[in-house]
Amino acid sequence: MKLTAPSSFIAVAFVALCLMLPFFGLPEYWLYVVSIGFYYALLASSWSLLVGYVGRISFAQAAMSGFGAYVALLTSAYLDLSPLPGIVIGALAAGAVGIVVGALTLRLHGAYLGLTTIALAEILRITATAEHQLTRGTRGYAAPPLWEGISQTEYYYVFLAVLLVSLGLMLWLLHSRIGLFFQAIREDEDGAASLGVRVTLWKVLAFALSTAFAGLAGGLYAHFIQLIAPSMMSMQEMGYVLSMAVIGGFANVIHAALGGVLLQLLLEWLRELGEWRLVFFGAVAILVLRFAPNGIFGTLDNWASRRAR
Amino acid sequence: MTFAAIIELAVNGLITGILYALVALGIALIFGVLKIVNFAHGEFYMLGGYAGYVAVTLLGLHPAAGVVAGMAAVFLVGAAVEKTLIKPIHLGKVERADEYAIMITFALSVLLLNLMLSIFGPWPQRPQAIFSGVFEFGPVLLPGDRLAAALVGAIIILVFMAVLRWSWIGMAVRAVSQDRGAAQAFGINIDRVSTFAFAIGAALAGGAGALIGPVFNVVPQMGLVLVIKAYVIVVLGGMGSIPGAVLGALILGQVESFVPILISDPARGMAYRDAYGLVVLVLVLLVRPQGLFGRKERRA
Repeated sequence: MKLTAPSSFIAVAFVALCLMLPFFGLPEYWLYVVSIGFYYALLASSWSLLVGYVGRISFAQAAMSGFGAYVALLTSAYLDLSPLPGIVIGALAAGAVGIVVGALTLRLHGAYLGLTTIALAEILRITATAEHQLTRGTRGYAAPPLWEGISQTEYYYVFLAVLLVSLGLMLWLLHSRIGLFFQAIREDEDGAASLGVRVTLWKVLAFALSTAFAGLAGGLYAHFIQLIAPSMMSMQEMGYVLSMAVIGGFANVIHAALGGVLLQLLLEWLRELGEWRLVFFGAVAILVLRFAPNGIFGTLDNWASRRAR
Repeated sequence: MTFAAIIELAVNGLITGILYALVALGIALIFGVLKIVNFAHGEFYMLGGYAGYVAVTLLGLHPAAGVVAGMAAVFLVGAAVEKTLIKPIHLGKVERADEYAIMITFALSVLLLNLMLSIFGPWPQRPQAIFSGVFEFGPVLLPGDRLAAALVGAIIILVFMAVLRWSWIGMAVRAVSQDRGAAQAFGINIDRVSTFAFAIGAALAGGAGALIGPVFNVVPQMGLVLVIKAYVIVVLGGMGSIPGAVLGALILGQVESFVPILISDPARGMAYRDAYGLVVLVLVLLVRPQGLFGRKERRA
């Protein structure tokens, strides 16, 4: 992504707007909505890190977020920790699962990988539902706030900071040699291996990073909404994440993150339309995949660079 | 545990297995011909359930006509989906075709599920079954609605297998699934065969939905759990293998029937009922990714 691309302007303007948003006297409710948008932005961008750059599909992103959330809450409850170390442990645990899954599925591609990750996600969701003496099942597990007396504005800035730092880390990694290794693996795994790229290492690392960011998002989200249930690991949630990344543009973590915030805002704004919103987003995701596979922001960039030439 | 109880578990497993086979066959057929996994297959099954509900409950037709309506409606949906979304892959119009196929069918499933949720609401609907009551076979009791669904399902499967085996169109479908290029060289219209195979695969799921609707209710989410089991089955049987799909379905039906009673805590055994197949799926993919009947490829 060149810095002159329109999507970079949009991203920078958007960050500036987000930083100042609480000073505009918006109702707290909208800060709440945008904070949830940041959660989805982190999920969508961590998903696109795996799908867009390494070319490996996973349907377990929402499940890993839920896994990170449950681990965060349960460890901090049983070890009597404060929420912050719990969130870190949740993210690390999700990353560890990512290492295991990444290593086990090294041989699998495309649809087979999709099916395996669906199975993993469903096993996690069913376990969270069935072990109700531990997780309280579908009734949901209550979480304490991040700290006593935290305000909506403080939550908002915590979410924004975590999102920006995470995106910064992802971008730094993707612009380093490792990012090139990822893309080499996506384009031609055997070719990359023959040129000395350690394919196994980077594939597993990509999986682990993607799941760790998902676990981080989940742990933070749990302390934000203060009640989590197995439904946050469902395929419907995964459908949201996929639509957000695809509509924003899954070939670029920033585009995917913008898609996450944009769709969450639209979801809230069009609330009275009920489930028709998701019909609409599904249709848009299909049209985008078919006619503008780089997503709306990627297509905008392509269009601008073609005009500049 | 008495002998009659074991027979009852086995028969119930067989009934579920037949209905699983109906859904799994469609996935296998579509994978065989088009080399894609249809991630919207569960929603085709759900559409069939709603078509049956509309025909039987709203229009007052005979329950058997509901099954026909389910198959016909989903056949048309399947044909339209293949022509608009899947055909571009084979015409070389999309980049990174593998991921495109996975994501576009997944997005389609989001669309269809929420479309039905918007139109019919989240309430479960229960159309009338072909026959009801309880049938007694000696000490074994079987509910009539399940028996009807399994019998009609078995007939559909047998007709499908016979058409695939002996008819001209069945031969064309098998030829395309073996080698697209060679099939085309021998004068088979692969465009039409592809559309037909996708639509028939969808119609099988639609028929299953219409059959199961009277037993387990029609709800927008009904396909979510079932389709994942169908994936387990096709992976177990070997992707694209028709006998593999049937055998895998019958195996999974028995696994789900018997494993819960082998677990000492029965409540927990039932709570994990939907997870046993997933463990099978992960094990098969890790140990023998080509499945029982699949051809081994270098890239799984």
